[in-house]
Amino acid sequence: MKLWIYVVRRLILLVPTIIGLTFLVFALEHVGGTSLFLAQYINPHLTGTARQKLVEELTAKFHLNDPVYIQYFYWLAAIFQGDMGTSTTIGQPVATGFVWFMPNTIMLTIVASFLTWVISIPIGVYSAARRDSILDQSVRIVTFTLYSMPVFLIGFAIFLTLGTTWRLLPDQGNVDPILLPTIPDAWFDHTTAVSYPTHILAIDAFLHGDWTVAWNALLHVILPALALTLALLAGIIRILRASMLEVLEQDYVRLARAKGVPERLVHNFHAKKNALLPTVTSYGYLVSSLFGGAVVIEYIFTFKGIGWWTTVAFLNGDVGVVMGSTFVFGLILVATTLILDVLYAFLDPRIRYE
Amino acid sequence: MATVTVTERNVRFDELKLSARVFFANKTAVAGLMIFLLFIGDALVIQIAPGVLGVQYPNDVVPPQFTQTNPECVGTAPEPPSIGHLFGTIQYGLSGIGCLDLLQLVMKAIRIDIAISFFIVFVGAAIGTLIGVVSGYAGKWLDEAMMRITDVFFSVPFLILALAVGFVIGRTLLNMALALIIIWWPLYARYGRSLTLTTKEATFIESARASGSGRLKIMFRHILPNVLPPVLVQISLDVGTVILIFSTLAFIGFLPSNALVPELGVIANIGLDLAPLGYWWTVIVPGAVITLFALAVNLMGDGLRDVIDPRRRS
Repeated sequence: MKLWIYVVRRLILLVPTIIGLTFLVFALEHVGGTSLFLAQYINPHLTGTARQKLVEELTAKFHLNDPVYIQYFYWLAAIFQGDMGTSTTIGQPVATGFVWFMPNTIMLTIVASFLTWVISIPIGVYSAARRDSILDQSVRIVTFTLYSMPVFLIGFAIFLTLGTTWRLLPDQGNVDPILLPTIPDAWFDHTTAVSYPTHILAIDAFLHGDWTVAWNALLHVILPALALTLALLAGIIRILRASMLEVLEQDYVRLARAKGVPERLVHNFHAKKNALLPTVTSYGYLVSSLFGGAVVIEYIFTFKGIGWWTTVAFLNGDVGVVMGSTFVFGLILVATTLILDVLYAFLDPRIRYE
Repeated sequence: MATVTVTERNVRFDELKLSARVFFANKTAVAGLMIFLLFIGDALVIQIAPGVLGVQYPNDVVPPQFTQTNPECVGTAPEPPSIGHLFGTIQYGLSGIGCLDLLQLVMKAIRIDIAISFFIVFVGAAIGTLIGVVSGYAGKWLDEAMMRITDVFFSVPFLILALAVGFVIGRTLLNMALALIIIWWPLYARYGRSLTLTTKEATFIESARASGSGRLKIMFRHILPNVLPPVLVQISLDVGTVILIFSTLAFIGFLPSNALVPELGVIANIGLDLAPLGYWWTVIVPGAVITLFALAVNLMGDGLRDVIDPRRRS
């Protein structure tokens, strides 16, 4: 099968999942009753006849007096126009909030995934190659313990030690508050603390040549990224080590050894690539933990991404954001899985024939 | 006929003996089992006779009338671990009710944590496995539809889905468990289905069908007993995983402050504002207890996996 046929097939399989996702979010929004559903579109300070009038308008717009399946389509139409209501926590449309906070989360997860790969591959490969050596034993003990830790403990331990106690790196927010007045209004909105054009402060400051702010904002990424990396690391090293051990038992590896290929080359050239593939198959779970972990880590470090925003919204009863997050995180996860699937099929042609 | 039954029983007994030997030969698994039993023991004692461990009011973070009987405790800062308070003390609430012994809170919390994790995993596994077996055996469109439904549940990061479900149905302890069951059953539906697909092709199923057994009988008398052992091992592993997820939910404040129960994540949440002021034990201690429990369960689960994996036993 050609790669593009596989991609098209994979895209078609995506349709029921996305329809199902909209069902799920629609059901969640309506299970709580009409008042909870309307809460995401109504300003809580609005009272009296103005409120009454708005409720009537919204009831007409979403056809709330019609059967549920008709309501679904009007809701879907609103969602596709990006109308997810208004957030009470930021006082802006929910969609605007996603545009502001999403880039930070994307940056954090990309940095953490990159670090995870860079650290876990050599450790997993080396640990399997030197099976039962002291190094392997200690790697196994450390990963097993790390694997059994709740994400919040990993995040909070980093926050307490490197941040609050030793003051090695900043542990709160996206930039030191003392630097805020120095940022010009031209590319930074001081009332909402959002920078333009990318909304990632480090990059925006870099683009505008403000080195102090750029460097400071960059330092604020390190601890959350490190915490998220530690939260993901153990799972990947465990899978990698197990699959490397399996690959090292294969006949072709034995042949390579028998014909006199140096051990280091056997590991790096023959075994490593094939050992990496099974790791990719468990990425569904890993990507899910990546975003779940990002929520907790962002909350601990008040790192202003959608994970932090979702938690704050959850705690303050901001229904539009919680529902919007479910939908948006769902879309991100589906898209990420699709990209990784295609990448996997590209790397391993056998997959396309299944 | 009688002799056949006796030998059959002997075979079963020998099987069990072999399984026990494989498990007990694994030292780390036995260590895991012992820590696990310690936790279970604590939970049972708190349930039956909390007085034995000196614990009162096992369902409350702050015992009723606590401030009236201990007026000196209002505004008392948390004390570090010492001989008197092995895990230190914690301070709760805006008025700062101090002197709350962390060891006692942890002992109370273990009971609730174990109860919730078993509840979530067992209910989730029961629903999921049943759906998995039926959809795997029935095949065709039912199977296809079931798998697409599980896809939808996997398409949202599990922590976010739990938050959203909890937000809608209300932030209570029971609802937190329900939210996690909603996340957990699809895992078992997939697992039960894949186990059914391999069992379905076995010759004994074919012979059962040939001898005229109905679909229901084949599913529940022949397939389910073969699917259960690996599912039980998965359950034993998941009890350690689910505690990590719901304590994390509790940590970020899933339970509102007027519905507090002694749960390890909730205790860590109380410590969230205290730890940065130097009272590190208020978060680290409950976190470490969760880690110890998950570690013990994982060690034990690895041992159990060796028991049912025929390649590893001989």
